[in-house]
Amino acid sequence: MTHALQLKNVRKAYQEKVAVKSLDLEVPKGSVFGLLGPNGAGKTTSIRMAMDIIGPDTGEVLILGQKTDKSLRNRIGYMPEERGLYQKMIIEELLVFMAELKGVKPAESKRRMMPWLERLGLGGLHRKKANELSKGMQQKVQFIQTLLHDPEILILDEPMSGLDPVGTNVMRDAMIELSRAGKTLIVSSHQMATVEQMCDRVVLINNGEKVLDGRVSDIKASYGKNTLVLAFEGDGSFLKGLPGVAAVNDHGRYAELKLGPGADPQAILKAASDRLRITKFEVVEPSLHDIFIERVTEVPA
Amino acid sequence: MSRDILVIAKREFIERVRTKAFVIGTILGPVFMAAIMIVPALMASKLAKSVSITVIDAEGSLRTLVEDSLRGGTGTPEAEKPEDPMNARPRNVGTTQFVIKPAVGADVAAQREAAKKAVLDGKLDVYVVLPQDVLKESKAEYYSKSVTDFEGIRAVDRAIEKAVFAKRIGAAGIDPAQIAALTRPLDLKRLRVSEEGEHEDKGISFFLSLILVMMIYVGTLMWGQIVMTGVIEEKSNRVVEVIVSSTTPRNLLFGKLVGVGGAGLLQFGIWILGLVGVSAASGSLAFLSGLELPALNPVLIAAFPIFFLLGFFLYASLYAAIGSAVNTIQEAQNFIFPVMLPIIMAMVCWPVVMRAPDSTLSVVLSLIPFMTPILMFLRMSVLMPPVWQIALSVVLTSLAIALVIWIAARIYRVGILMYGKPPNFPEMLRWVRHG
Ligand SMILES: Nc1ncnc2c1ncn2[C@@H]1O[C@H](COP(=O)(O)OP(=O)(O)O)[C@@H](O)[C@H]1O
Ligand SMILES: [Mg+2]
Repeated sequence: MTHALQLKNVRKAYQEKVAVKSLDLEVPKGSVFGLLGPNGAGKTTSIRMAMDIIGPDTGEVLILGQKTDKSLRNRIGYMPEERGLYQKMIIEELLVFMAELKGVKPAESKRRMMPWLERLGLGGLHRKKANELSKGMQQKVQFIQTLLHDPEILILDEPMSGLDPVGTNVMRDAMIELSRAGKTLIVSSHQMATVEQMCDRVVLINNGEKVLDGRVSDIKASYGKNTLVLAFEGDGSFLKGLPGVAAVNDHGRYAELKLGPGADPQAILKAASDRLRITKFEVVEPSLHDIFIERVTEVPA
Repeated sequence: MSRDILVIAKREFIERVRTKAFVIGTILGPVFMAAIMIVPALMASKLAKSVSITVIDAEGSLRTLVEDSLRGGTGTPEAEKPEDPMNARPRNVGTTQFVIKPAVGADVAAQREAAKKAVLDGKLDVYVVLPQDVLKESKAEYYSKSVTDFEGIRAVDRAIEKAVFAKRIGAAGIDPAQIAALTRPLDLKRLRVSEEGEHEDKGISFFLSLILVMMIYVGTLMWGQIVMTGVIEEKSNRVVEVIVSSTTPRNLLFGKLVGVGGAGLLQFGIWILGLVGVSAASGSLAFLSGLELPALNPVLIAAFPIFFLLGFFLYASLYAAIGSAVNTIQEAQNFIFPVMLPIIMAMVCWPVVMRAPDSTLSVVLSLIPFMTPILMFLRMSVLMPPVWQIALSVVLTSLAIALVIWIAARIYRVGILMYGKPPNFPEMLRWVRHG
């Protein structure tokens, strides 16, 4: 089976700084793929290499099983982390221009853009100049620009950053719809929670190196249901002293308790309910965020 | 050539052409040009003084001859050819034009009195008296409030002399046909004057062709700067990353050059058309009629776009490379001077080349690609060089452009994704080597 994207042992250094160290990565066609890691992990650098914007020092990039060329690039939609539009251009002409670079005829892209503008709340603004729109609106225009040529693969670098909650929802719905339509989505994020529910597969990188790779469900399963979620009223500061509790993520009225080996959730519930009014109790899989923190602190970089 | 280049060029072209600066510049350019052409001509015609003059002829047979001569005729009625366009329009722009006022009074004494009074009243500028014995004595009198208008006096002197000579020749028994023949030198003289006029005419159109050279200089730097600003904007807008994910940095660079160069060419084209138009229309426009407007050498007009584009591509690609390496226009300032140096050198060499356009030095200088756009075009305006030299300079410059674009594209490719401290020249050279 050919993959939508493969990075084979790619490496990229800027002067002394090694941004990506021999990374291997395979994105199955039709999947929603998360490239996760903290700021400076090397996500953007990896994506730029995938887009052939920068060349890797070593290693190989394959798109749909082939070395990239112009016609392959036309099958990808790319939204960079650093967003921006030609500020003085009229939205319609801007979108036509970008689509034309991807080989779409102006009439066709004009026809396609209207439903998307409508849907993202930009209806009737297509004759406005980019600098007349708010930052959030510009970001939506950029998203439309990414998919106007109907690409098979979408590469979105930090798609949610800078969006308000409504914008985040609109963006997520659009991404889910694109995925249902059979597109391959590659999404990078440093906020794992925002994309973890959406992704089939993730690669977690830190300091340019892969930390985790696999199906989200497999990764979580391998960690077991070792997390206790409690919602409560009262002072929960004693929770971290309870036997069997390895770590606590205390949010005040809500806490995630990481259980040590052999800990009994029922015993903990009992101890907690003696001193707190419990409104919610659940044993769950750890979040990717927790798994990542654990992996990174286990193996200090 | 990639289709992307055209798509990018089209966008750049439209963006430039739509700016207010472009529209205003395009409209004001020809106005300015026309002013350059018309004002000197207009001033020349204003300087052409109109002098009213009365001829009082005591001798009795000279007046018509003198008056004709003053009017710019040949001094012999037979030779007057009013249908001749050279006579219909006074060629002596910038010199005195006489308005003949007939003498008033029954006899010479009364005429003198009337003329004197008219001069004192300011109604007449000059009157001349031709005494009865003028043919014998060769003496006449010139009266005016001031007698320092040497040019006018000389013209009057010549006119009377001409008439007197004609009469004397007639009196010597030579028939009128022979007189006409003997006045041929006056015809010859008129031809010389017209040649002089042509020479002067050439002076202004030569001046205009120097303006074209200036336009290449200013245009190259100005439109180069516009390319640089565009690159910096694209970089600070962060648009560039999307574009290089769709096409290569080289296509982007090349498309930019084509688009912006096209806008520059359009503006200059309109300017030159305006220039040519004003020249052509000058005959039919009432307020311009009577003015001698210079004509541009068509070869220069045809060569202008070529040399402008040569200069533009050469320098603008360097400007683009600079723009890609920096983050702001301020940062770019440090890099601009070295890039401008060769074209400034070309301007410095201007006088050398102008004085001796076909000297070995001039030939060599004009064949140096970075100087060709200015110096070869300058040579073409001064003294048309051999075609092979022009062709060679175009070929050499085109090769240089290919090389410079190649270098610039490598800097560009690295630079557009670089934020932070701008590189120094050695670093840029490293980009070129490893690109
Ligand atoms: N153009 C560049 N020049 C120098 N260092 C860079 C450049 N781009 C990225 N880096 C460095 O490479 C590392 C990885 O950056 P990046 O790929 O942007 O990470 P992420 O997208 O995961 O936040 C960082 O340490 C960053 O500082
Ligand atoms: Mg990033």
